[in-house]
Amino acid sequence: MIDAVVVENVHKAFGSIQAVRGLSLRVPVGQVYGLLGPNGSGKTTLIRLIAGLLRADGGTVRVLDAPMPDKAVLAQVGYMTQAHALYNDLTVRENVGFFGAMAGGVTQARIDEVIALVDLAERADSLVGTLSGGMKQRVSLACALVHRPRLLLLDEPTVGVDPQLRVQFWQHFRRLTAEGVTIIVSSHVMDEAERCDRLGFIRQGGLLAEGSSAELRQRTGTTTLEDAFLCFAKGAAQ
Amino acid sequence: MNANHSNRTLTLAGRVIRQIARDRRTVALFLVVPMLVLALGALLLRSEAGAVPLGVVNHDEGVDVLLVGHVSLAERIVAALEEGEGVIVVPLSAAEADEALRTGQVRGVATFPPEFSAGFAQARRATIPLRLEGSNPTDALSLKGNLTRAAIQALAGLASLSGMPAIDMHDLPITIETTYLYGGAEYDLLDFFAPVYIALIVFFFVFLLTTVSFLRERTQGTIERLLATPASRLEIAAGYMLGFMVFALAQAGLLLLFVVIVVGIHYAGSLLIVFLVLALVVVTAVNLGIFLSTFARNEFQVLQFIPLVIFPMVLLSGLIWPVADLPDILRPFAYVLPLTYANEALRDVMIKGRGLGEIAPLLGVLILFGVGMLALAAATIRREVA
Repeated sequence: MIDAVVVENVHKAFGSIQAVRGLSLRVPVGQVYGLLGPNGSGKTTLIRLIAGLLRADGGTVRVLDAPMPDKAVLAQVGYMTQAHALYNDLTVRENVGFFGAMAGGVTQARIDEVIALVDLAERADSLVGTLSGGMKQRVSLACALVHRPRLLLLDEPTVGVDPQLRVQFWQHFRRLTAEGVTIIVSSHVMDEAERCDRLGFIRQGGLLAEGSSAELRQRTGTTTLEDAFLCFAKGAAQ
Repeated sequence: MNANHSNRTLTLAGRVIRQIARDRRTVALFLVVPMLVLALGALLLRSEAGAVPLGVVNHDEGVDVLLVGHVSLAERIVAALEEGEGVIVVPLSAAEADEALRTGQVRGVATFPPEFSAGFAQARRATIPLRLEGSNPTDALSLKGNLTRAAIQALAGLASLSGMPAIDMHDLPITIETTYLYGGAEYDLLDFFAPVYIALIVFFFVFLLTTVSFLRERTQGTIERLLATPASRLEIAAGYMLGFMVFALAQAGLLLLFVVIVVGIHYAGSLLIVFLVLALVVVTAVNLGIFLSTFARNEFQVLQFIPLVIFPMVLLSGLIWPVADLPDILRPFAYVLPLTYANEALRDVMIKGRGLGEIAPLLGVLILFGVGMLALAAATIRREVA
């Protein structure tokens, strides 16, 4: 297996709205792949297709060699949603423990370890409802990591996270990829995109361009990813 | 300054109106639902109380009265009963009487002994034994009333014929002596009502709790995350069911002990079987809650389910009016409510003292409802995301 995720010519419509149209991409094992695009471009739909929460209208999605949706594969997938999807009336430890148990094979030691990892050891027994937005985001990440997934899907993971914490998140992401974990992260923050191994520009449900940050800038002769994106978008429009 | 104040007030009122008007379903519900509920109530209250079937075992041999000839007082009472609209007279033999009561063919049996007329002619007093089914106090009242009325009518007719003295309404010469197949004279309306009240309360709270918790699961996005784990939809629905079962059964158990020990209601059957029936009620309530939560966008819309789901249950499930007495157009609705079957099972156990074997068909229907609702709930969890 070279590619952790293979998306081939996938279509997905919600009623009359075409959210994803004929999109194909491959994410090699151990890479951080960034999905970059404006709001409503289809990033979240793509991630939900990969997470097996949606069934493609056409085309195929393969995750860790299995065609999606496949419940068994999900034990090896960690998914962090955009909004902090947590139980506010449970403690940090209970939330992490719950999602760990749902995936299966998670020990108490692992739960403590992952809570320490997101720097919340002191708040482990606080109710999630009493935490700040940034802390909730960290709990959310802990829930996605607790079962040691081989594929991590992060939908806007650092929205509302302060720069210092963002750096910590990325240090951890890098440690994970070194262990062979594949990460797909959606973002519209350019600084974050710079840190990805490979980027896919998403626009109107399709893949506009793909490559490393340096390649994309070079191909358009621009100095920032923002300009590069606009340049590709303009080219596509013409 | 005053103008400014009223402007702000008007603006705010305008905003409130716009927000509510935009929620079309809420508007439709609060305009239409009260009328529906009232229409339902009107149908129920205006419907003529159906005639109650009364079995009659007539052994009366009659008596010869001077100047009048052979007279059977019992025959005259039966004729008066048939003339009235309250009861339908079903002639029975003594051997058939209890069986007819047990199967529900009749709700009471009046027996006239062979010397009924002769005894009356001699003592100017008579007693009519009335055996009641006993699980419905309303029936008992109606049958006693009708029988008394018929007896007075018959005696009045006889008095005008034979010059008997007029009847003293304060000391009726006819006494009705009631015995019961189930329950007994000490069973009152509360005994009839309490078992099914518990079922309704349990259903109501479990339904409301599940709907709101599942709605939260959707609005907070945790259901999305839950579905991104290997957990299947059936596992999720079943997990909810088990979780709520603990509280619902604690509630049911406590209520049951309360009505038995503190309120002191009578019961003839096993409380364990009652508990089992309540557990099945919980299963249907939890799954109906999960299913209906799909159709609510917020807690406010959950509240709207109360008149839609709970009112029909209160009115049609046999809680107040026996299902058999419902108007013909409403009776089919009673049969699609799980509570109808639960209520019948509960009364069978609590009042008639029936065992597991005898209420098995009712339990079977409840289990079918439970399984059906579980499938429906699991299907809607899927519909939400894929």
